[in-house]
Amino acid sequence: MLNAIVPLVVDGLANAALIFFVAVGLTLVFSVLRILNVAHGSFYSIGAYVAATIGLWLVSSGLNPWLSFPALLLAAALVAALMGPLIERTLIHWTYGKGEAVQILVTFGLFLILEDLQRIVFGVRSIYADTPMALLGVSEIGGIIYLNYQLLLIGLAVVVLIGLRLFIRHTRYGKLISAVVEDREVSEALGINTRRIFMLAFTLGVFLAALGGALATPTTGVAPGLGAETMVLAFAVAAIAGLGQVEGAAVAAVIVGIARVLAIYYFPALDAVAPYLVMLAVLVIWPYGLFGSTSTRRI
Amino acid sequence: MLKLRDVNVAIAGVRVLRDVSFTLRPGICTVLIGRNGAGKTTTLRAIMGLVPLTGGAITLEGEALHTQPSYARARLGVGYAPEDRRLISEFSVEENLLLPALAMKLDAAERRRRLDEVYSLLPQLAEMRKRPGGATSGGQGKMVALGRALMVAQKVVMLDEPFQGLAPALAQDYAKTLAELRKAHEGLALLITESSPNLLDSIADETLSIERGAIGAEAPAPH
Repeated sequence: MLNAIVPLVVDGLANAALIFFVAVGLTLVFSVLRILNVAHGSFYSIGAYVAATIGLWLVSSGLNPWLSFPALLLAAALVAALMGPLIERTLIHWTYGKGEAVQILVTFGLFLILEDLQRIVFGVRSIYADTPMALLGVSEIGGIIYLNYQLLLIGLAVVVLIGLRLFIRHTRYGKLISAVVEDREVSEALGINTRRIFMLAFTLGVFLAALGGALATPTTGVAPGLGAETMVLAFAVAAIAGLGQVEGAAVAAVIVGIARVLAIYYFPALDAVAPYLVMLAVLVIWPYGLFGSTSTRRI
Repeated sequence: MLKLRDVNVAIAGVRVLRDVSFTLRPGICTVLIGRNGAGKTTTLRAIMGLVPLTGGAITLEGEALHTQPSYARARLGVGYAPEDRRLISEFSVEENLLLPALAMKLDAAERRRRLDEVYSLLPQLAEMRKRPGGATSGGQGKMVALGRALMVAQKVVMLDEPFQGLAPALAQDYAKTLAELRKAHEGLALLITESSPNLLDSIADETLSIERGAIGAEAPAPH
């Protein structure tokens, strides 16, 4: 029995880790900017493409293959630094304080642009760059073989969750972000440059999504359509948690991850719909999500 | 020091302030009196940069203030306590007080100096410094909001209906604190809004009345 459950949980958690990176970025951007960014999933797939491209280049150039680990991080940082401030300043900026319809139209437009841009730059073929996973090998625990890379993903998600909480609670920018989340106007009147906070939060959101994508490449590779698929999953996670909840996003990601893996193991036909069935069940009972509420805003 | 000249503000096409002009001077406490909806809060918000002007100008020591973003006005020394307190609920009282210092990147010595000053004026805040902002009562919250505005206010402090909803004993405390503040901070210009003039008789140097967005006759306070 245990032999069946443990691998399932590891699979589910590894899956959850990747979704968590995207969903927590989505929820962060929503909390601070009050924008539901429909294009958020594209940063995941762009992170994946950039990481895969760098990874393949590393292999072909004959450099030390272990460099492919920092390269994953570098890919996410590159995507965030190049796209975060640019997109926030030129596009997202105009939707602040506008109705949801405008925000969704603008970010959906952005999503379409980014999808086509990826096809132009990276082509339409799938790319695989699994050096990091091959390098780490496998572990045998209790007669079951685990991919060490999956264990690394779970560990990294935990590190990011704790790191994000410490950042928000204890650093200058983290505290300024909390203040802006709770009361944008008073924050501004107390001397906080909210424009800068918006740009920072958006860029951090892009980084987290791109990091998720970069970390996913060694396991799943990257192909067109990944952005849309990820986006819908991240929305499901955010809806289950209640938008604006960092720890909630982690719990919801675990629920969705496990649900997906359960479906794959026992009801393969339900694989694609499992996350939404969970979402449906949660929203029927808790309309604002597991941790969401209508009144308090916090992060 | 802080000058409004023909300030006009419209919200959703409706003129809320009409050619508002007045001057705040160092060491002078100006009280803006008007009924609900007369434009008191909008006047403060216009000075703070939280609503855009449709006309006119605001200057601080001769420099244009109305062209600056709101956060820059705070950094120039204009402090503002909104009527409804608006503390950051998950921050402690002390973190709420220190938020402007953090935002303005004050160095440790200056941060300490301002915080000590606030605590000496409002000793009750020192006692509840660890309490979450969301767990303060209405009156306590007003005191915290005052302290937080003072962390910013090096030149001007604006208090929106500070006595609104305060129990009589607390209101007296608050008024006493304002009197002490004026002694401790001689160059500070004060702008206080109020719907009934009686409460501020003792501290007002000048009163302005505002009605339907326009300033009425300026009269010295009946000391």
